[in-house]
Amino acid sequence: MTAFFESLGMTYGWAWFVATVAGILLIALPLMLAVAMIIYVDRKIWAAMALRKGPNVVGPFGLLQSFADGLKVFLQETIVPSAANKGLFLIAPIITFTVALMAWAVIPFNSGAVLADINVGLLYILAISSLGVYGVVISGWASNSKYPFFSAMRAAAQMISYEVSIGFVLICVVLWAGSFNLNAIIEAQRGHGLGIVNGFFFNLLLFPMWVVFLISSLAETARAPFDLTEAESELVAGYQTEYSSMSFALFWLGEYANVLLMCALNAILFFGGWLPPLDWAPLYIIPGWLWLFAKIFFFFFVFSWVKATVPRFRYDQLMRLGWKVFLPLSLIFVVLISGYLMATGHFA
Amino acid sequence: MIQTIAFYLFAAMVIASGAFTILARNPVHSVLWLILAFFNAAGLMVIAGAEFIAMLLIIVYVGAIAVLFLFVVMMLDIDFAELRAGFMKNFPLGILIALVLLAELVLGVGAYRAGALHLGTPDGSAAPLLGRSNIESIGALLYGRYLFLFESAGIILLVAMIGAIVLTHRGARAVRGQQNISKQIARKPSEATVNTRPEVGQGVEL
Amino acid sequence: MVDLEQYLPILIFLLIAGGLSAAFVFLPMGVARLTGTHNPSAEKLSEYECGFPAFEDPRSQFDVRFYLIAILFIIFDLEAAFLFPWAVSLDLTGWPGWITMMVFLFELAVGLAYAWKKGALEWE
Repeated sequence: MTAFFESLGMTYGWAWFVATVAGILLIALPLMLAVAMIIYVDRKIWAAMALRKGPNVVGPFGLLQSFADGLKVFLQETIVPSAANKGLFLIAPIITFTVALMAWAVIPFNSGAVLADINVGLLYILAISSLGVYGVVISGWASNSKYPFFSAMRAAAQMISYEVSIGFVLICVVLWAGSFNLNAIIEAQRGHGLGIVNGFFFNLLLFPMWVVFLISSLAETARAPFDLTEAESELVAGYQTEYSSMSFALFWLGEYANVLLMCALNAILFFGGWLPPLDWAPLYIIPGWLWLFAKIFFFFFVFSWVKATVPRFRYDQLMRLGWKVFLPLSLIFVVLISGYLMATGHFA
Repeated sequence: MIQTIAFYLFAAMVIASGAFTILARNPVHSVLWLILAFFNAAGLMVIAGAEFIAMLLIIVYVGAIAVLFLFVVMMLDIDFAELRAGFMKNFPLGILIALVLLAELVLGVGAYRAGALHLGTPDGSAAPLLGRSNIESIGALLYGRYLFLFESAGIILLVAMIGAIVLTHRGARAVRGQQNISKQIARKPSEATVNTRPEVGQGVEL
Repeated sequence: MVDLEQYLPILIFLLIAGGLSAAFVFLPMGVARLTGTHNPSAEKLSEYECGFPAFEDPRSQFDVRFYLIAILFIIFDLEAAFLFPWAVSLDLTGWPGWITMMVFLFELAVGLAYAWKKGALEWE
């Protein structure tokens, strides 16, 4: 893109800057649009599985429902409770949403189409997603109210519990791909399965890790069946109980942006990202970003499907699954995969 | 040029947030300033070319250690009046520690200026491997030359883990909601239900 | 080598994303003042409780298990941090590097087994 702006007669520095800002807006604005639409999709899927109609009044098929909701919250009054720590209370949604957007800086949308092609892309995502805890904890504490505080503590303990096994799963992928760069990880999956299937999921040693990653990503984003932070029967509405207007909506948007990010990570780490499912020439006619979006949408459908069908976990079950099942399992697979790769001379 | 600006921006932010960490009255605010300081330190690391260390700084310090700090200060019910009383009581001790630190600082700077120390002599032995990212260079060094230091780090982590469990674990409690999942899954309808055909007015024997 | 030009977009992204989110929080506050929906009252601003004043200070609750979870998380996070450079440098370190890490993992597996046996991973 820099070359295009240079051809308009700008110096390299300015052309680079304009191209970068354009790239950022090209990620951030469609992402927000996608979040609005995906909320609608989520409600439609959920409704269909419950034999209901879902939103169908605003616009054709209710397509504009999310925008109507957005306009409504935008015009609402922002209530800042008198007992709250006002500064932190307002900063918390800003942190949540900023962090949710930031992680997308290293996601590759096509070969070479990535905003920041850094060597440690995967670690960057891990670092940014570990910051998600702060938006939640700060909002719960700053509200100075009982239920948000309990919910924030629960959410924080839940997020960090599952981050452990996510870290080990990422190591399994990196062992095979030999790099932390997301584009390199995608390239390593070209023809990985039998020389024809693009994706690490087609691998007996990595498939169980994908299952662990999928379930952990549900827990990390506090989606059903792990949505204990919003267990309405005990915690009202979770850590956002005291929020209203756009600050409330930002938590919502940030949450869905994180869900989309986790879907994208599932697609990139195990299903070949922007590569077509099969390493077969005619499939490369379809541009890479379409494949990526199709995979993200597929995983989002899986997330909605799980939400519609699986009952909520109890907190002790959640902790048990994270610490007693996923953690030992992923550790064992780190040993197995590295041993297998050493024995077969993968690194020689 | 941008690098210089970024360096001064991050450096100034580190110092400012470090100062606010000790000046903030509310301990929760202190921790949050500390997190900001870690962040900017990570920025400085990126400028120095140590991208892996930068990410590690965020993952470990901001993502894990600061979370523990936040848990501690948020869940402790802090009485500010009591804190200030404690401050006056420990004031002489604090002065003493400050003096010791100051003396160490002076000695350190003096020793460095005397020229006896050679910090990070550039003899080429620490040069990064050609064509490798700095994660791979660190790995090659840590799991090759500094193997014993690495294993002792493992022992320290083990001790830390056992220590934490011994200190915080309150012993066996009556565990509620303990479930045997495999038993639940293995249960069949035939084990749990019986079909009976009671006579009218007879009721059911259980 | 580290390509700093790849990191500058992240810094710019941080500024834009932060600005955008701040605008989302503060703009509605201004709009609400203009449209007249901004109308706070003492009851509206009190914290949420099911219709009665709160009994106790919400922040006084304290549970030591959260500490334990946080400490265990730090330890395993550090373990993962040691695994990251190991995973990409196995071609340089070979079998000695692999065996070193297995010893390290064994040490931590002992710790995990201890925590398990002691019931520290139990959450009632």
